Amino acid sequence: MEANIHGSPSFAYLDIELAPGESVIAESDAMATMSADLDVKARLNGGLFSGLCKKLLGKESLFINEFTNTRGENRRITLAQSNPGDITHMALHSKTICLQPGAYIASTSQIKLGLQWAGFVSGISREGFFRLTVSGEGSVWFGSYGGLIEKEIDGEFIVDTSHLVAYEPQLKLKLQMAGGFFSSIFSGEGLVTRVEGKGKIWLQTRSVSGLVGWLNPKLF
Amino acid sequence: MKIETIHGPGNAAAHVTLENNETLVAEGGAMIAMSTNVSIETTTHQKRKGGIMSGLKRLLGNESFFLNHFTANSDGAVVTVSPTLSGDLKVLKLNNDRIIVQSGSYVACEKSVEMDIGWQGFKSLFAKEGLFWLNLSGQGQVIVNSFGAIYPIDVDGEYIVDTGHIVAFDETLNFSLSKAGKSWISSILGGEGLVCRFKGKGTVWCQSHNASAFGRALGKQLKPIKR
Repeated sequence: MEANIHGSPSFAYLDIELAPGESVIAESDAMATMSADLDVKARLNGGLFSGLCKKLLGKESLFINEFTNTRGENRRITLAQSNPGDITHMALHSKTICLQPGAYIASTSQIKLGLQWAGFVSGISREGFFRLTVSGEGSVWFGSYGGLIEKEIDGEFIVDTSHLVAYEPQLKLKLQMAGGFFSSIFSGEGLVTRVEGKGKIWLQTRSVSGLVGWLNPKLF
Repeated sequence: MKIETIHGPGNAAAHVTLENNETLVAEGGAMIAMSTNVSIETTTHQKRKGGIMSGLKRLLGNESFFLNHFTANSDGAVVTVSPTLSGDLKVLKLNNDRIIVQSGSYVACEKSVEMDIGWQGFKSLFAKEGLFWLNLSGQGQVIVNSFGAIYPIDVDGEYIVDTGHIVAFDETLNFSLSKAGKSWISSILGGEGLVCRFKGKGTVWCQSHNASAFGRALGKQLKPIKR
């Protein structure tokens, strides 16, 4: 499999060349173009119960697509996310990564998609009750709205909740107010996430909720 | 005519340098800046007469849209054009070829390029593209735009393009609506639904992103418009 990310950072898309017998799993509706003889199968996103949980509580799709090259030659598929932004590739070696709702784009067939309880506060603040986890051996591609910032955390760090895209599972996340009661409401920062521990996080330089917040007052 | 694109694929624009008496034809609202030695003429595009199809087209397609003709009064005139949405621009060169452009993707072309309103049938509605297409032919350069990056796919046989991702394609190609996989159930459950299946030999230019998918993602969170 050969995968290339083009169009970064504003309109990244993922070109994958599948060798005979290889397959790639992608988020529902991520396919932009593909060879006509690729085999497409819709799969439940990790079993019916887990799939339903992901859809209802984690804001993920109930179904994902598996694209398989059943031919004798290489075949090409191009994937993109719905929002403009960057895409990054991660090679997981028995590692786990937690993804925020909407970040997942595609993975190789050995990668397991799972669910992790994210906490009541996360659910109430509309970040989803569950988090998508990707684990196993292989490649994962996830994306952002805007550019991606990768950051190594050692100790404590504060991020705006709507800008968090992915993080390593050993990190502890706590939702909290940005400052005191007054400044949290009037600073425009609202809820933030306090990240504790040692590991990597990925941030996006724009947030859809920010764009929505800017657009809404202009609609009438 | 020299066309230079800048700032792609994020927020592309094109600087068009005109020699004396050269004319650039652009869709209304595309010009963002120009030198003072350029005269503008606004015309409605005239369609050819006759035929049941062209009558039908007129009936459905609101007859004409406005085009601006930018003509240089002296050498070295510059017109800068850009589309409304973020995304890429691509310059396609016609050399007695015929291409079909999704009408929302057309930005500008040289005057020597012939333009006609085309009709791909009602499948265009289901393909989430405009009902009408531009048939461009002749000699000269054409500027097309996209939501996202533009990449070419060389089709020889069959290739699948998801609905809403077509920018332009060679007339030697033909597309039909079909399912993405072998079964309809899988196509619908998998969220791909209908896709466009291109057949023939030629190039289709695709946009990496789908403006209506982004619109849907945003739309859920936008407040309803009061009427």
